[in-house]
Amino acid sequence: MNALKQLFKGHDSPANTAKQRLRVVLIHDRTEIPAGMLELIKDDVISVISRRVPIDRANVTVHVDNAGNENRLLVDIPLLAGDNRRGASRTSIPRQRSS
Amino acid sequence: MQSVVVTVTSGKGGVGKTTCSANIGCALALLQKKVVVIDGDIGLRNLDIVMGLENRIVYDSVDYIEGRCRLRQALIRDKRAPDLYVMPTAQTRDKTAVSAEQMVAMCDELRKDYEYIIIDSPAGIEQGFHTCLAPADRVLIVTNPEVSSVRDADRVIGLVEAQEKGPAQILINRLMAARVKKQEMLSMDDIVDVLSTELIGAVPEDEAILMSTNRGTPVALNGRGPAATAFHEIALRLTGEEVPLRVQQPVSIFHRLFGKA
Repeated sequence: MNALKQLFKGHDSPANTAKQRLRVVLIHDRTEIPAGMLELIKDDVISVISRRVPIDRANVTVHVDNAGNENRLLVDIPLLAGDNRRGASRTSIPRQRSS
Repeated sequence: MQSVVVTVTSGKGGVGKTTCSANIGCALALLQKKVVVIDGDIGLRNLDIVMGLENRIVYDSVDYIEGRCRLRQALIRDKRAPDLYVMPTAQTRDKTAVSAEQMVAMCDELRKDYEYIIIDSPAGIEQGFHTCLAPADRVLIVTNPEVSSVRDADRVIGLVEAQEKGPAQILINRLMAARVKKQEMLSMDDIVDVLSTELIGAVPEDEAILMSTNRGTPVALNGRGPAATAFHEIALRLTGEEVPLRVQQPVSIFHRLFGKA
């Protein structure tokens, strides 16, 4: 019964929302990297990488992950396939929304 | 005498540090331990009123530290338990009245006669907190199951570690089992998980606390009710006994109507 409840509302329960928000805010508190700073880093990464290779700007993610006592900055940059490569269906690079 | 200084603190104010300090002190004293509870919040004297001893203050810790009285004169004997004493603080002074060194020296004197010295510390990161942290052998950080106090608890856990007084333990206060069950409130496991810190116990929300504070009789002295039971279990854990962690269930209506003495 509880598992069923979990299935329907588990991840959106107020307790879970509180827990997830706490996780994120504690990572920023502990690393002293405010969340807004990550947005700036993301913009920097996009401009540097996109000068060399086509990337899917809209889906770039930057976040701090902590495993045990170690914190690391994780940057995920989806590449766009080039014209001569397989899967080259997209021809234009989606424009990054300004934030 | 083998003695332990336990500093009770928190990140956020108003989470129940004084209630927890008073009740843990009472519960330890009822276990036949020699206990003194120190009000560490200079200028905001409160432990005395929570424990119902406000009319018995003659001297306080600042009087002792500044040489106006002997140690025994500053201690109030609580006759409701075999060996329980309270050290009130000055109401008209500020946090700078006692230095960390003076607090350590006072606790060293108390260590000669008492097994447990509980310090009710001010919250957060101000000077009064560092004064109360200095003599600590163990640190309990009180938090409510609510995002702002958990976040601030994390900050204090870090400070305790930085002062090499860690690892601190968390004490969750005012937990509501029914709301945890409905997933409306952070659970014991959620908080332990997010803070990656060991738990000393969880005290349930209990109507009896307000009544006991009104009267000046800590719930742990009378022994019944979910919060009182939780405080007794925490006291046992402090003495090194293994007591399984659990959430005390609120008393049923039936019990409330017919179970009272």
